Amino acid sequence: MKALCWQGTNKVEVERVNDPVILNPRDGIVRITRTAICGSDLHLYDGYIPTMEPGDVLGHEFMGEVVDTGREVNRVKKGDRVVVPFTIACGQCHFCKHDLWSACDNTNPNAWMMEKMYGYSGSGLFGYSHMMGGYAGGQAQFVRVPFIDVGALKIPDGLDDEQVLFLSDIFPTGYMAAENCDIKPGDVIAIWGCGPVGQFTIRSAFLLGAERVIAIDRFHERLKMARAGGAEIINYDEVEDLLAELKWMTGGRGPDACIDAVGLEAHGTGVAAAYDYAKQRMKLSFDRPTVLRQVIQACKKDGVVSIPGVYGGVLDKIPFGAAFGKGLTFRMGQTQMHKYTERLLKHVQQGDIDPSFVITHRFSLDDAPEAYRMFRDKRDQCVKVVLDPWQAPKAA
Amino acid sequence: MTITTNLAEKHGEKPFSRRPATSKLETALTLAAGAAISIYGVLRRDWFGAAFAGGGGYLLYSGMSDLRRPYQGRLRVAFTIAKTPQEVYDFVRNPQNWGRSLREPMFEHNGDGQVTLRLGKKKNGLDFKSRVELTDEKPGEYIAWASADQRFEHRGVVHFKKAPGDRGTEISVAVEYKAATGPITHSLASLAGLNPEQLLREGLRQIKQIMEAGEIPTTVGQPVGARGLRGTAKRVLYHERPAAEMQPQRLAGD
Repeated sequence: MKALCWQGTNKVEVERVNDPVILNPRDGIVRITRTAICGSDLHLYDGYIPTMEPGDVLGHEFMGEVVDTGREVNRVKKGDRVVVPFTIACGQCHFCKHDLWSACDNTNPNAWMMEKMYGYSGSGLFGYSHMMGGYAGGQAQFVRVPFIDVGALKIPDGLDDEQVLFLSDIFPTGYMAAENCDIKPGDVIAIWGCGPVGQFTIRSAFLLGAERVIAIDRFHERLKMARAGGAEIINYDEVEDLLAELKWMTGGRGPDACIDAVGLEAHGTGVAAAYDYAKQRMKLSFDRPTVLRQVIQACKKDGVVSIPGVYGGVLDKIPFGAAFGKGLTFRMGQTQMHKYTERLLKHVQQGDIDPSFVITHRFSLDDAPEAYRMFRDKRDQCVKVVLDPWQAPKAA
Repeated sequence: MTITTNLAEKHGEKPFSRRPATSKLETALTLAAGAAISIYGVLRRDWFGAAFAGGGGYLLYSGMSDLRRPYQGRLRVAFTIAKTPQEVYDFVRNPQNWGRSLREPMFEHNGDGQVTLRLGKKKNGLDFKSRVELTDEKPGEYIAWASADQRFEHRGVVHFKKAPGDRGTEISVAVEYKAATGPITHSLASLAGLNPEQLLREGLRQIKQIMEAGEIPTTVGQPVGARGLRGTAKRVLYHERPAAEMQPQRLAGD
């Protein structure tokens, strides 16, 4: 089959590899019909996530048709159309039974690597470094899905692939980021980053009853999309002092919750941002926590800081005094995917939201290397790329 | 509560802790190398010499320690398994389950107290045969064992304790062992993926995975692209087989 493989920083290639086979009794094989490039794939592309190796198959947002199942798979059948969550969960451990699926004890074959770095290991993920399990990802024509009975979300007829594809990651991720804010009537939520996760966070905040949402970015097309979702917008490149602007817009109180939907590759201005760039260039750090500092400073007293953006390593110059002084609550982590997929599928079915609004570009799998470059450089107003693994490449 | 793990008296031998930990050859080599490097360092009379003397001094120190050290190693590893103490005890007590408990089967039990510990892969691995006696046991609570020969000495206790709340069972293993190696061999073995604590931890983790999830998660045999030189060198780290062994047995959808 064809699969998109990581070959080093800024280098991905479509290669011919073996088809996946059933390796464990609870595995299934899915023939992929649609797959997407996630913002967090760019962290891999840019080389900021450790334990990636040349030849690793990328991709953790995908859906398709079940073509094979292991002998202990009962719920899912051949021919089912499914969306697969990007976190892999066994469904039997203490964490799975308490709805904390991304903390599953039993799905990371390389748990020891993560234990060395983080103390304890979370669940395995598709196509996201050996530390996170080393599972081959879904930017390919087929994928092996471990514990397919637990994760796969069956899609009823009448819904297009593009309407449900994002239940594999970014819609639940945005939704959990908003839910983590414990939104009450009258709340004002500020969201840094209007990429795909930011867009879903904006809409989820409204679904959960937020009164106002303030969206922050610097790209016009993304801010336009945020405004279409009902948010008020700030272009941080065009304001003198972002924190003063937020204070002004919230009657001097500050936002009730601040969401960092940017993560470790934040852009910014000023001395702190330059310091972060320098450190990352010298490989002294994986992360540029510019936005994290801002959300802590901007949040109102007793507010919530919610972090769906990915961080990888050890951060510094974090204003912890401000966090303590204001009594902030921090909520973060890999999305508890399995907790949200059914609930959000209902929202799609009821027409509360059509997640395909976020798609700006469609490519064949063969054109994925070009798509990565375009998405990374935000050329051609690119917000979200969807790949068709079976489509013929554009004529060269 | 006293749990017995000492067989020495029964067999009329020196107690476990009284015998030196390393082989005489390795200790002699460590001391000789340490002395040579220290002397070379002192004779250089410059900063590089000081560094050499420091390194040599460390070897001398570790060689001397090997002569005196009572134990080669102690390991303590604990996991929580979402089953009752009796279920976990029954699983561990059944020697037939032992072979399943590592990716590459590591223990073999002939049903008569003879246990083979295999390090490395099936064909190319090293076998350590060891007679093991259960020295103490309370069903559902603990199992204690000791090796009955002096070549590869080890003894330990497995405890099964109800975990707080609805979390299941805390299984904890405490082992003392005395292999005929010193710190240098130990470091080399760790680099080759044979760190004793890591082996024990992975063994327990896989017991947990089989008991809870019914299978051990794996990526061995999944599709990969061209690994290149660096990736090929790291295959050991990721438990990957050479490409020739990774041909699919059947294609998806067949």
